[in-house]
Amino acid sequence: MPVKLLVVEDEKSILKLLRTILTANKYEVVEASTGAEALSLITSHCPDLILLDLGLPDMDGNDLLSSVRKWTSTPVIVLSARTHESDKVEAIDLGADDYITKPFGASELLARIRMALRHTRTTSQNAQIARTGQFHSGGLTIDYNKYRVYVDGVDAQLTQGEYRIVALLGKYAGRVLTYDFLMKELWGPCSKGDNKILRVNMANIRRKIEKTPAQPKYIFTEVGVGYRMAEGDEP
Amino acid sequence: MQRRWWLNLGVTVVLLLAATFSSLVLGGLIGGTANAQMLFLLAVLLIARFTDGYVWSVAASIVSVPLVNYMFTYPYFSFNLTISGYLLTFLTMLAVSLIVSVLTARIKQQEQIRLDAEREKLRANLLRAVSHDLRTPLTSIVGATGAILDNALPPEKQRELLADVNADAQWLLRMIENQLAITRIQGETAPLYTETEVVEDVLAEAAIKFQKHFPDIRVDMDLCDDILLADMDAVLIEQVVLNLLENAVYHGKRTTRIRLSAARSGRFVLVTVSDDGAGIPRDRLPRLFQAMPESGRSADAQKHMGIGLSVCLSIVRAHGGEMSAANNEQGGASVSFTLPEKENEYAGQTAGCGG
Repeated sequence: MPVKLLVVEDEKSILKLLRTILTANKYEVVEASTGAEALSLITSHCPDLILLDLGLPDMDGNDLLSSVRKWTSTPVIVLSARTHESDKVEAIDLGADDYITKPFGASELLARIRMALRHTRTTSQNAQIARTGQFHSGGLTIDYNKYRVYVDGVDAQLTQGEYRIVALLGKYAGRVLTYDFLMKELWGPCSKGDNKILRVNMANIRRKIEKTPAQPKYIFTEVGVGYRMAEGDEP
Repeated sequence: MQRRWWLNLGVTVVLLLAATFSSLVLGGLIGGTANAQMLFLLAVLLIARFTDGYVWSVAASIVSVPLVNYMFTYPYFSFNLTISGYLLTFLTMLAVSLIVSVLTARIKQQEQIRLDAEREKLRANLLRAVSHDLRTPLTSIVGATGAILDNALPPEKQRELLADVNADAQWLLRMIENQLAITRIQGETAPLYTETEVVEDVLAEAAIKFQKHFPDIRVDMDLCDDILLADMDAVLIEQVVLNLLENAVYHGKRTTRIRLSAARSGRFVLVTVSDDGAGIPRDRLPRLFQAMPESGRSADAQKHMGIGLSVCLSIVRAHGGEMSAANNEQGGASVSFTLPEKENEYAGQTAGCGG
C-alpha cells in the first residue's frame, strides 16, 4: 500500500511542484489549500504524514498544528518561508516533527519525509538505547551506562554537562530539538530566555567530537532554532 | 489622529497662556497695550509654526483680539468696542495671523515634498539597479525554458539549460532575499531582532549552505581557540557570510579555495573571507561598497557585486560593525567585517587569540 501524504499548501505553483515530486516518488498525495479543508481531510483520509505550509489563507498554520496534535501523532513537516524564523520554532515546540525552508530541493524534501516516517513507524532509536544502552551513528558512540561518548573508539572527554546534552540529542536523533526544549530538559523549567550557556557548551562539544566544525558529521546546528543529532545507524 | 488633536490644542493653549502672562508682567512693568499686541502676534506666529494646518493659529488670533481688548486696553478687564481703530487692530491681527499660518503651512508642505522627492529618487535608483540586475537572469531563464519547450533538444542539452535556469533562479532568489533584508533593517516597525550567538555556528551554517551549491570549492575554517560570542540577527549575518562566499567565487573567477576565519580584534569579532582568486581590480576597491551600479559598466561586471556588498554593509552597520576589503599579497581578495564581541562568562581556560 502506498504511503499517503497530505499536502496543505495554498500556493498553486508550489502545490503542483510538490504533487509532481511526490507522485513521481510513489507517494499517494491528498491536497488541501485551506486549514478547514486540511482538518476534514486528516479525519477522513488518515494520512501517514502531513506537509504543512504555515501561511494559510483561513487560519494560522500553527493553530492548525496544535489542534491536530490534540488527537493524533501523525508526523508533520512544516514548510516555512525564510522570513518567518520564529514561526517554525513555535511549530516545532507545538509538536511538528521537522521543518523545511523554502526554497527546497526535491532530494532534501524526500529525505526529510523518509526520516519523519521512520521515526514514527518504529521508536527504534529509543528501543535500541533501552536494549543495548548505546547509541551509534557512524564513528560516534554514546554509552548510556558508562556516561561516556566515544568518537572512533576514543573517549571524547566530555564534561558531565556536555555529556547530558549529547545524551539527550542521541535519544531524539534525527529530530530538531529547539533551544527552549533543551534548556527546559537540562537546566529545568526555571531556565528562561538566556540560552547562552547551551550555545557555549555546544561549541565546546563540537570541538571535541567533530573533526571539521564547518562540515559536522554528528551534531548539526539549525541557526535560530536548535540542534539535531545525526540519525542513528540501523540496528 | 486623536493624539495630534490634543497636542495641537495643548500647544495653542500653552502659547496663548504664555502670551497673556508675559503681557500681564510686562504691562505692569512698562504699561501700554502695543506690547501685548506684539506678544500675542508672536504667540499666533509660533502656534502656526508648531501646529498642523492653519485652523489653530486662526482660532488663536480670533481669541487673541478680544482677549487683548478685554485685558490690556483701557478700561482694563472690560470690553471696549468703541476704541478708535479697534476694528482695524482686529482685522490686522487676523490678517497677519492668517498670512503667517498659510505661509508656514506652505513651507512645511514644501519641506515634506522635498523629503518625499528625495526618498522617491532613492527608491527609483534602487529599483532601477534591481531591475537592471534582474533582467539578465530572467532573460536567460525565458530563453532557456523557451528553447526546451519549443525544440526537440537532445536530453543532455536540455539538462545543461535547466542547470543554467536553476542557477539563475537561485541567484534571483538571493537577490530578493537581500532586498528583504534591507527593508527589514530600514523598516521602522520591525527592529533588528538580535540574540547572542556563537559566531562559529553561524559561519559553519553559511559554509554548509555554500557547499551545497559549490561542492567543488574548498572552504577551510580558521577559528579562534576561544568561543566568540556576538549579539546578532543570525539570519542576516548568515546572509552576509553567504554573500561574501559567493562573491569570492563569482568575482575571484578562478577561485578554488576559500578561508573563512573568525578572530578577536579589540572588542570586536573579526570575520574574514579570503580567496585565492583573481583579486579585486584596484580601481574598484575605493567604491566597492556603493549601492548603485555606475553607468557605463557592463551588466555582467555588475551582476553579482554592487548590491550584494552594499546590502552586507548595511546589515553589518546595523549591528554596530564595519566592513573592509583588500587584496592579499599572495593573490586573491579578502573581505572582512566586524561585530561587537559579547562577553562570554562561561569561557574556560582556553588560550586567547587575537587579530
